Amino acid sequence: MTSLLVNLGGLILMAAIVVWFWWPGKSAPEADKNGAYQHHH
Amino acid sequence: MTARPMQTPTTQEHNSDDQIHLAVSGASCASCVRTIEQAMLSVEGVSSAHMNLADRVATAGGQADPKALAQAVSSAGYSAQVIENPDTAQDDKEQEDKAQYRTLLIKMGVSLGLGVALMVWGMGFGSMMVSPANQITWLALGGLTLVVMIFTGGHFFSGAWKAFLHHNANMDTLIALGTGTAWLYSIVVASIPEALPEMARHVYFEASAMIIGLINLGQALELRAKGKTSEAVKRLLDLRAKTARVIRDGEERDLPVEQVRRDDHIRVRPGEKLPVDGVITEGQTRIDESMLTGEPMPVSKKTGDEVSAGTLNTHGSIIYRATRVGSETALAQIIRLVKKAQGSKPEIGRLADRISSVFVPSVMLIAVVTALIWYNVGPAPEVVHMMVAATTVLIIACPCALGLATPMSVMVGVGKAAEYGALIRQGDALQTAGKLDLVILDKTGTITEGHPGVTHVHASDGDQQRLLSLAAGLEQHSEHPLAEAIVIRAQEENAVPETIEQFEAFNGQGVQGTFNGNTLRLGNRRWLEAEGIDLSGLTDEAETIARQAGTPLFLAEGDRALGVIGVADAIKSDSKAAIRRLHDAGVRVMMVTGDVETTARAIAEKTGIDDFRASVLPEDKARIVEEMRQQGFVVAMVGDGINDAPALAAADVGFAIGTGTDVAIESASITLMRGSLHGVPDAIEISRATIRNIHQNLFGAFIYNTLGIPIAAGVLYPVWGLLMSPILAGAAMSLSSVTVVTNANRLRFFRTFQPKGGTHD
Repeated sequence: MTSLLVNLGGLILMAAIVVWFWWPGKSAPEADKNGAYQHHH
Repeated sequence: MTARPMQTPTTQEHNSDDQIHLAVSGASCASCVRTIEQAMLSVEGVSSAHMNLADRVATAGGQADPKALAQAVSSAGYSAQVIENPDTAQDDKEQEDKAQYRTLLIKMGVSLGLGVALMVWGMGFGSMMVSPANQITWLALGGLTLVVMIFTGGHFFSGAWKAFLHHNANMDTLIALGTGTAWLYSIVVASIPEALPEMARHVYFEASAMIIGLINLGQALELRAKGKTSEAVKRLLDLRAKTARVIRDGEERDLPVEQVRRDDHIRVRPGEKLPVDGVITEGQTRIDESMLTGEPMPVSKKTGDEVSAGTLNTHGSIIYRATRVGSETALAQIIRLVKKAQGSKPEIGRLADRISSVFVPSVMLIAVVTALIWYNVGPAPEVVHMMVAATTVLIIACPCALGLATPMSVMVGVGKAAEYGALIRQGDALQTAGKLDLVILDKTGTITEGHPGVTHVHASDGDQQRLLSLAAGLEQHSEHPLAEAIVIRAQEENAVPETIEQFEAFNGQGVQGTFNGNTLRLGNRRWLEAEGIDLSGLTDEAETIARQAGTPLFLAEGDRALGVIGVADAIKSDSKAAIRRLHDAGVRVMMVTGDVETTARAIAEKTGIDDFRASVLPEDKARIVEEMRQQGFVVAMVGDGINDAPALAAADVGFAIGTGTDVAIESASITLMRGSLHGVPDAIEISRATIRNIHQNLFGAFIYNTLGIPIAAGVLYPVWGLLMSPILAGAAMSLSSVTVVTNANRLRFFRTFQPKGGTHD
């Protein structure tokens, strides 16, 4: 049970990192203007 | 060496008023740069934003409210102050840096002190394992660690939080997460040890404290090394005189240099620095301009000659009239130009920025994956291994090395070039100059002195006096250097210039006017023959002139040839040596000139030039540059005249040679303050060294991270049973950014293959 929770927690954390730092349109960093961000998505 | 006015690098720099400069603190890596630039761009009226990590100055272009800009940068998580006076900003920054250096050292002492004490206590007298006997002690020590972490590493946490709110992640994020995780885990262990297996009841308070201490130490060392990279600008700033001996109303007074006004008369005694730019009105002297131009020999100056602020009067006492004061002086403009170029980023640096913009979130993902792997397949105690590996990954990853790699080297490289009298306008020019494989040289003023003299006078009827009178009559209306030579020769021969009417000049061809109702023409063969004049009787004479690297100018009245005058421009004493250096650097050298082929060939042979284009009209120079670029060459154009401007702009790198005109200097990407061609190989060698240095830095940072992160994650554990400690990761991370800055500093000791000032060939 603990194991499942830890693994699930880890996956949710990873998803949160991706969403918070990469989600397009949330913020438009300088790199975005160079097309680097579009490249990732 | 004749006295020669020194040129100001550009007048364009005056519009820097449209720029707002902010002194930013708290920025430590490429991600910060991105955040700050983004914050500035969001302010209304800002058209461009640029943050220079090396000197921590952010510059915004456009018409924005400086306060709003500072506010925007502050709310992005950094402290920003508007720089009111860029001239004194350097001194202020130095003071600030010193204070910050001391603070960092104190913080380092406190956190390392606690970390080491905990470690010694744990190892020597007790254990890092929590037991019912020491639980209260560990809880107290956990509280103490938290206080120390807030005091010595609070800036990492606040920086991380502000970045997080803006969907950004930077170095602070990694440090805050790493040390925060270690502390949180430890406090959980100390509070409820029974919730964890016995083997996992280990605390890591000492790791949190020591990591923060080591990173503070790294930042202190970095700050110190960064200070050295701006030495070139400091050296230029130190050239400014503090006072001037101004003569007003017949009275001499020592005034602060800020109070000197245009048209003031200033006395400078031997051994004194010149406070402002001006023109000598009384006396003669020799002036050491080496600090600005790299030219080692003092230059003779007499009444009417221009002198520049920051140069040193070595010989006589002079009085001169101030023409440019304050921020208008050549020195002030050079300082502005160097600072601006130091802050610009070549293409290669933008690549590093792009990588680091995704670097930190990627490291966070790797840390989570690492934790999960250790938890699922690692040996017991899984929780401890999981926490240690994830923390180490977060701590070892170093985006700062990536962020610093380029700006540090550019800063030192541009400064080094300035030391050699080469002012680089843009970081891009630095990168391109290293790749040059063809240098096109303008002849007059570039290879040659640009002060031609008459070598031959041949009149068809033998009356040389009359030939010179007519030629001087025409040429006294012209401003061409060849014209000046003819007028001077006429004066020497006591030939009185005839009165000429309806004067007209034809660019690249010659001049014409009316004398006694007849058309009088003086110009090159092509033009006169096109006008139907028979020059066959003068062919032998013209050939002789051309073979001796002179330019034959034919004079004709109506359709009758009167004679030919040979004008030659002496080749600069060091042109040949400079061209040889270009060859040594693997660069082909080509000359363009309006001269006839025989003249061009003679000069090419004397100087060792590979290729030349003769009889080139001024407007064709840009076309030739374009043509060579299309053939695949990376082309530099070197020139000094107004008519070189389009070619300078068309080339990959335009070099305006210091004796040139303002227009040429504005079109060029590199300005050579010294009149010598040696500036071209100097700039190429310095560019190559700088780019090599950037490559080393980027490569080092890349290798460090690609090796460090997997080792921190524990790839060596299955084979050798090795798992890196987070403290070691903290030390490695600090070391990596210090290494980058130190490597950039190595450039300060770079010497070109030619001593400054050059030896004469």
